[in-house]
Amino acid sequence: MTYQDEQVSAIAKKLKSQLDKSEDKRAILRSPELQALYDHLKTLPTGQPRAKFGAEVNALRAELEQLVSQASAPQAKLDPIDITAPFGVNVPPDQRPSLLSADQASRHPLMTEMQQIVDIFERMGFAAIESREIDDDYHMFTSLNFPPDHPARDEYDTFVTDEGLVAPAHTSIMQNRFLKAHKKDLEQGKAIAAVVPGRVFRNEDLDARHEHTFYQLEGIYVDKGINAGHLVATIKTWLSTYFGREVKIKIQPFYFPFTEPSFEFAASCVFCDEAGCNVCSYTGWIELGGCGMIHPNVLKEAGIDAGKYTGFAWGFGIDRLVMLKYDIEDVRHFESGNLKFLRQFK
Amino acid sequence: MKVSLNWVKQYTKVNLPVDALVTKIGEQLGAVEEVVEFGKRYEGILIVKVVSSDKHPNADKLHVCLVDDGGKNKQVKRDTKGLIQIVCGAPNVTAGMLAAWIPPGATVPSTIGKDPFVIEAKELRGVVSNGMLASPKELALGDSHGGLLVVDKPAKPGDLFAKAYELDDYIIDIENKMFTHRPDCFGTLGVAREVAGITNQKFASPAWYSQKTRPAEGFGLEMDVKNDLPKLIPRFSAIAMKDITVGPSPLSVQVQLVKAGIRPINNVVDATNYIMLLTAQPVHAYDYDKVKTGILGARLSKKGEELKLLNGKTLKLNDGAVVITDGKKPIGLGGVMGGADTEVDDSTKNIIIECANFDMNLTRKTAMEYGLFTDAVTRFTKGQSPLQTTAVLAELTEKLEKITGGQVASQLVDVKSSSVADNPPVQVSTNFINERLGENLASDKIKLLLENVEFKVAAKGDNLAVTPPFWRTDIEIAEDVVEEVGRLYGYDKLPQILPKRSLIPAGADRLLAFKFQLRDILSGAGANEVLTYSFVNEKLLRSAGQDPAGSYHIKNALSPDLQYYRQSLLPSLLSKVEANSRGGFDEYLIYEIGLVHQQGLVDKDKLPIEFNRLAIVYAANYKNPAAAYYRVKLYVDYLLTERLGIKLRYEPLIGSKFSSEGQSAASAFWPEQSAVIYHQEEPVGIIGLPNSSLKQDLKLPGQTAQVELDLTSLFELAQTKVDYEPLNRFPSTDQDITLRAPAQLSHQELTNFIESQLDKAAMQDGYNFKLKTLDIYQKATDKNHKQTSWRVTLSHPERTLTTDEVNKLLESLALAARDKLKAERV
Repeated sequence: MTYQDEQVSAIAKKLKSQLDKSEDKRAILRSPELQALYDHLKTLPTGQPRAKFGAEVNALRAELEQLVSQASAPQAKLDPIDITAPFGVNVPPDQRPSLLSADQASRHPLMTEMQQIVDIFERMGFAAIESREIDDDYHMFTSLNFPPDHPARDEYDTFVTDEGLVAPAHTSIMQNRFLKAHKKDLEQGKAIAAVVPGRVFRNEDLDARHEHTFYQLEGIYVDKGINAGHLVATIKTWLSTYFGREVKIKIQPFYFPFTEPSFEFAASCVFCDEAGCNVCSYTGWIELGGCGMIHPNVLKEAGIDAGKYTGFAWGFGIDRLVMLKYDIEDVRHFESGNLKFLRQFK
Repeated sequence: MKVSLNWVKQYTKVNLPVDALVTKIGEQLGAVEEVVEFGKRYEGILIVKVVSSDKHPNADKLHVCLVDDGGKNKQVKRDTKGLIQIVCGAPNVTAGMLAAWIPPGATVPSTIGKDPFVIEAKELRGVVSNGMLASPKELALGDSHGGLLVVDKPAKPGDLFAKAYELDDYIIDIENKMFTHRPDCFGTLGVAREVAGITNQKFASPAWYSQKTRPAEGFGLEMDVKNDLPKLIPRFSAIAMKDITVGPSPLSVQVQLVKAGIRPINNVVDATNYIMLLTAQPVHAYDYDKVKTGILGARLSKKGEELKLLNGKTLKLNDGAVVITDGKKPIGLGGVMGGADTEVDDSTKNIIIECANFDMNLTRKTAMEYGLFTDAVTRFTKGQSPLQTTAVLAELTEKLEKITGGQVASQLVDVKSSSVADNPPVQVSTNFINERLGENLASDKIKLLLENVEFKVAAKGDNLAVTPPFWRTDIEIAEDVVEEVGRLYGYDKLPQILPKRSLIPAGADRLLAFKFQLRDILSGAGANEVLTYSFVNEKLLRSAGQDPAGSYHIKNALSPDLQYYRQSLLPSLLSKVEANSRGGFDEYLIYEIGLVHQQGLVDKDKLPIEFNRLAIVYAANYKNPAAAYYRVKLYVDYLLTERLGIKLRYEPLIGSKFSSEGQSAASAFWPEQSAVIYHQEEPVGIIGLPNSSLKQDLKLPGQTAQVELDLTSLFELAQTKVDYEPLNRFPSTDQDITLRAPAQLSHQELTNFIESQLDKAAMQDGYNFKLKTLDIYQKATDKNHKQTSWRVTLSHPERTLTTDEVNKLLESLALAARDKLKAERV
């Protein structure tokens, strides 16, 4: 690493050579020379010179820390191996590597269900596209009819990076992109139909029912003459296929800035035939997600004539669906990496 | 939003049982979070008359009372006159008063939901007390513990306490989120209107509200408003009152507040809260004499200004919040919370009432900045109508005159910006509405649904001019009317028919399909799929040799453990190893498919590039780390070459050059024991052992090896076609060959050499061949050489090969090897 500032550069050189010789490597991090740099930093005027010098000093400290930790790690000596060989030298045939037994294999239940869900939608004629894990405010909010500073943004508890980028809180971030890319299809008489599975993030404290990281699937459908009844029928058809039996859907009024009207949708409980059980909290219905008719502002933002075309969108959490399906008691198992959990899902 | 059903019933008929009403509200207004049967808390509690109150024989501060409950309670012990003996410690107990009696067997309301306390008949200093006479605090109606609750209503002994004060109520809690765009529904009036609408009844707001009545004016106090912020406060109405007597509110008002979860304070403050609960308009009362100047100003705060709030906290203000001033210094945080210096208290005589309209976005920003989430903030952030301020003041001042004995003492000051105007009509057609609902509603039906909730609808054939009432700030475009009609009509009635679409197939995301394919292959080969968080902590980055500055950093992370986006998948995957290896899993192979990011690498839209990766970790609780390497390599060869048809080349990690995202991935590896995987000249991944700090910090077991692959390039290289060979009717011949070669020659170099020789022969003579490594051997006494054996399987599509022919071929191969590689056939 090279340092632009002469003073920093000189001290870096000195400290590094000291490090090679010294017994107590950590002592270098408490060295008076390094402290002097920090003291000097405080005397600089705020603004550009101070920030620049500060960055250099911090970089030096980081480099030293890394060198110290490298130096203090026990350097076990390993014999060099032929990295291109299929097995080691003099290894008898019965000790050579083989694929592990398929008995102990497993597939992550979230991914398995996602694959199944995507498969159903693809058969219904929806294209699947994956969501992003880092995006800008425009796709998270503005393109979806959330004006800046709009209180509706509060509902999303979004993680924000230093640069003002966001960890998406819904896979609707792909809506504007997909609508824009496919608006030509509409003119050719083809509907826009897509589902977007992906990982989303909410700034929520962890407990058995809440994760800050989870999976969502959003769908959109735009064409001429599309109405709210089409929306309900589409969700109903998908869920009935997924559960392999007739499911009833009910929608309740809700509020989202990107749909008008907006709804929450619930499915009749397939576990008790609406008789009431602990899965549906004895209501006979399971709330699954949100939906609505795409707001004309969202269509307009993508360059689609909202007078001519209408559409619907819906979204739901995959984690919750999987928890219901397998009666999984704790959402935290999903990202735990615990093989006791994972190996139950072959 | 907590709504009292009894209060709603004052404005509309409710002809459904509570359960049915709650279901209907859920279906047509908003999700109901909870329904509380409020009256349950007061079961068994009766109003009683204190007939006599005598000093307790054995205690100075206690009284022995005889009370009359009209003979209602059937269990309690009575004296010969039918009266009930109760010991009471309250100072204000007097013969003749009406009080609330908690009989034996009933629960003290204030303890419900905490640690329920059931009253019993018991002796107090030798005298039996049959239950207790209750204070407001015990009845969960305020903080006052000093004396008995005094029944201030005409009532007779034996009346149910709950009934007398409308505590026999249901509180319906509707999710606030539902009403993000419905400012009117944060008041009882708004919810009552909707209840009427969804039960097909015509609603009429009280005239004082719908007619925008102005308060009666008076004289005696000088008062003025100076609003510097007409954009942020489109309307600022205020009026002063004099000769106020501050004291507790009538119990019925207190009850109304308590039911909504608001603590009663005094008659002035309670009245402002009461009117807010009714109309959704937050109102604030200032002590006129503490304001001193008689002026309410509004301006933006300046950095460094201080403001002591009603909650006792002193804010150091930044620039840009709306403050209410006395003309100079801040006395309140506009739309959020009043100031302590001008608080109405017991000594207040004169007041100014502010009824203003604050910008929703700035109110939200201020609330977030100072962490103040008040009832006023909840309401202003939904965008209250500026047209309701005078009506609210009219009703409030009338109420205050009755309750406090005061009088309006100024003119109404009403500073209004030119933007404040009635809602314009929205033009929509029945066809437009029906098209979006999939319904066929007649124009008359639509008109009726909307008029029930006080819209004005002018129908002209198919066209409707829909004028929303002034309190509806959410109806601006035709689609808003669609929502209103659909909701009031009932979404459950909409026909459910699938859209018709063309048979053109939908496009497929091939990368997603590729990922699904990888899962199938790996999990089909004994591996376990894992998902880990996209975020990591600084320590893990450093262990992996990754500079935290190379990660996108989350500034509002939940915990320091989750503040950096990951730069490669392996560190998070490795962090799952220790628990599993100690948890009874001796040998396993886990993998994850995911995204990583490298700070500064952006695409053409200036967004961070998302690198698609597959990481695999093999871990076993055995020694011999080299075996782990070959195990992972086997999986890589199996997955990429055997299953996906991608030819690979392995080069030592040391000395390899990397892109910056490649460098981040590489630093998680032990350089001397790792390799870069290439297809031709394109790097596709890195394989090897974890670096020493990961090994140490994550307490990895003896055998741990890993690979991280770049899916984007592999996806392009993967062969979808099987390399089919026509079935050969001529037999193939196996022949083994062993070469003793210099030890520094890699297996790859040797194999490639043999392959190239066989290729040449194949080109010349049309052979087909396969090559398999059988053995790699090194004598303990000769570390300079190693012996490698291969099995060559040869065939020819047109003839049976002779042994002689095969021997010759291998002979020439051996000669070439000696020539070029200094390798001897053994």
